[in-house]
Amino acid sequence: MTLLRQTLLPALALLATTTAANAQDMAVAIPEFIEETATSGISTVYEGEWEFMVGGGVAVFDCDSDGYADMLLSGGSSPAGFYRNASERGGALRFEKQQSGLELDNVAGTYPLDIDSDGTADLVLLRVGENVVMRGLGECRFERANEAWGFDGGDAWSTALAATFEDGASWPTIAVGNYIDRREEGFPWGSCTDNWLHRSAGSTFAPPVALTPSYCALSMLFTDWNRSGTPSLRVSNDREYYKGGGEQMWRVEAGREPSLYSKEDGWRHLRIWGMGIAGYDLNFDGYQEYFLTSMADNKLQSLAEVPADGVPRPAYADVAYARGVTAHRPYIGDNVKPSTAWHAQFEDINNDGLADLFVAKGNVAEMPDFAIEDPNNLLLQRADGSFEEVGHEAGVGSTAIGRGAAIADFNLDGLLDLVVVNRWRPAQLWRNVSTDAANWIAVRPGQTGINRDAIGGWVEVRRGEQIMRREITVGGGHASGQLGWLHFGLGSSEAAEFRVVWPDGEAGDWQSVPANAFYAMERGKQAREWRPER
Amino acid sequence: MTKFTTAILAGVAMSFALSTAAVADGKVIGVSWSNFQEERWKTDEAAMKAAIEAAGNTYISADAQSSASKQLTDVESLIAQGANALVILSQDASAVGPAVERAVNEGIPVVGYDRLIESEDAFYLTFDNKEVGRMQARAVFEVQPEGNYAFIKGSSADPNADFLFSGQMEVLKEAMDAGKIKNVGEAYTDGWLPANAQKNMEQILTTNNNDVDAVVASNDGTAGGVVAALEAQGLAGSVPVSGQDGDHAALNRVALGTQTVSVWKDARELGKAAGEIASALADGASMDEIDGVVDFTTPGGNTTKSVFLAPVPITRDNLDVVIDAGWVSKDVVCQGVPAGTVDVCG
Repeated sequence: MTLLRQTLLPALALLATTTAANAQDMAVAIPEFIEETATSGISTVYEGEWEFMVGGGVAVFDCDSDGYADMLLSGGSSPAGFYRNASERGGALRFEKQQSGLELDNVAGTYPLDIDSDGTADLVLLRVGENVVMRGLGECRFERANEAWGFDGGDAWSTALAATFEDGASWPTIAVGNYIDRREEGFPWGSCTDNWLHRSAGSTFAPPVALTPSYCALSMLFTDWNRSGTPSLRVSNDREYYKGGGEQMWRVEAGREPSLYSKEDGWRHLRIWGMGIAGYDLNFDGYQEYFLTSMADNKLQSLAEVPADGVPRPAYADVAYARGVTAHRPYIGDNVKPSTAWHAQFEDINNDGLADLFVAKGNVAEMPDFAIEDPNNLLLQRADGSFEEVGHEAGVGSTAIGRGAAIADFNLDGLLDLVVVNRWRPAQLWRNVSTDAANWIAVRPGQTGINRDAIGGWVEVRRGEQIMRREITVGGGHASGQLGWLHFGLGSSEAAEFRVVWPDGEAGDWQSVPANAFYAMERGKQAREWRPER
Repeated sequence: MTKFTTAILAGVAMSFALSTAAVADGKVIGVSWSNFQEERWKTDEAAMKAAIEAAGNTYISADAQSSASKQLTDVESLIAQGANALVILSQDASAVGPAVERAVNEGIPVVGYDRLIESEDAFYLTFDNKEVGRMQARAVFEVQPEGNYAFIKGSSADPNADFLFSGQMEVLKEAMDAGKIKNVGEAYTDGWLPANAQKNMEQILTTNNNDVDAVVASNDGTAGGVVAALEAQGLAGSVPVSGQDGDHAALNRVALGTQTVSVWKDARELGKAAGEIASALADGASMDEIDGVVDFTTPGGNTTKSVFLAPVPITRDNLDVVIDAGWVSKDVVCQGVPAGTVDVCG
């Protein structure tokens, strides 16, 4: 490892800024995971042939109001599987499979979203065939609501979702990404079908409008990339199948037709096998970086320029190589062919105050030009902003054919755990059992009225001069979504200050709180420490 | 961890090359490999290096390790080391543009090696894929000048698949127009996968009640799938099948008689040509002055100066060519071949 570190030094020298001066330790604490798939009660396989080569999502949300994250796993051609979290605090991960009403077949993607703002999570099921919105009834029961909510589920091969609450709307706006025409199995190239935008029409959805041109989206994210207060829609597209396309970003403003950011605006042409989007403000400048998964090189986009007036153009530079996150081929085994990356997520796995990056990997099926044994990545951020691969050492470098994933603290011990959906193999679950992780807090913002989960808002945590920021989003990743606690590592800090910037732009008061606890943050109130009952 | 060690060694090798380059009298030829750990490039490199050194020049190289981003910095590094010409085996043709631009701005000629670079500024050297297609069709046509033909094409995402098919059609067009040959089924093979080729072939056989007289398959992998489908129907060996690449298993099938031809592209020839062309360009020759140069219109609509090498069709009658070249051992070619059926196998 010594030699390896030395070879990376020239790359580090390329880093424009040293962003993490406040990080406590130069040495990175390698987290320790143990796989608990067999004992956890989780047993869902993402099944199916051609039409399920993409997708394979997991939704993580709390539907029985006990603070523990429950989950729904896509089953592909088999029914989806719902699991109620029966873990105890700090204990082994245990889930109980139970009937929820969500057990539909042909489910490729799963996203929790409180559509009707009743305080109970609903779900959107992306399917090969009709998409379905499922209303949460409480106690982890769900019922179909397409008719009640005017949701036209269409009949496509749906592979991506992003949701936002537009200004003045009482209902969310849901963007759905669609893939190739599944009736064109013999010659699918160039058959990308239209993406849809389902907007609010009172307490119901308006008929969807096509977002053309569409280029086989595999991930979408509503994100306020320029801190204008209005999120735009990023779309990551699969170049294998489109003709003449590229990565896209739509300007989506209330009451107006969506329009694409163009070359004139500064948006740069980029063709990748786009499969997943993850955003995080890695350099603490207030604007998010975006990690885009692909085949071979993955991308890490950072604004090319942040002008003094704070109004950047949507021009991004790729800093993946400089930061050591190209993650373009297996890091274990002797396979030298490139990797295939799907879900990506930034989370602080070792609680050192620096976001780390997890990437789920797996061949499409048996593509000979790409690695067959393709381990998942866990890239830990170092104090200088570069990343170090520890997937194997940490125990999460599975070579099953990964797709969607979620990182969440399933046993509420302050250490983030991991679930990964696999094609043709059971989903895998790992418990984080690190003993040298640092301090943390978790925050759950909430507001009354519409948009109870404050989608489009931000949680900011201040430590000294440095502010860590997380955007509250529904979308991105690969076919997978989460609602629940937002986790922040604090390093050696025993206390933290945090606040919520609400979706309408109003910033709440800074809250000073002790570390290592969960905080419910109701708008207009003081932070309240929350403790699990078991 | 083995791999990291290897990567470090490559880095060390590169810095040694640098000091050698500094004292050499001739020109420096920088070669950017997309993924040098892939076994097949070792042969190309040996031939390329020999040709460069024979011209009195120095070979330096870098390995992008499958990363298009790393390849960009590799090219910069080769330029910084004083490369007078570059040979680039691109990892991603759509991402290598900035590196070519950089080189061209500094007056350094670029040879795109084996894989097309979509730029009018880059020379393009590869085998003649259209000729591969012609050779495939010719070999099958010689055995089966009429009847029902099936076409198992390559991946639609790969422009080479269409070059191959157009070459095949060129040869067979006359017989097809005359009604002697009938196209009873053609299919692209997703990802060039043998399993997909087999599935497509099975479908074509079913549709035609097994009445298929010849199969033009675009490479050895797909030919393998085709032969498996034919075997299941008891037709292997009686229906001619083409292929490409000189895969060891395919050469064995050629000896066994279940495959008619494998068009072989001799990597030594390609490497040698690249070394010679890069040396000539480094010495100031213009792209127009290269032997055998033609204008080639790329799928992206660019016109590049190109050289296309002729491949060699390997049939039962000249299997000695690949064995003598050290490409494959006689044991592999002749495995399971009954004595007295193929000359080279005895």
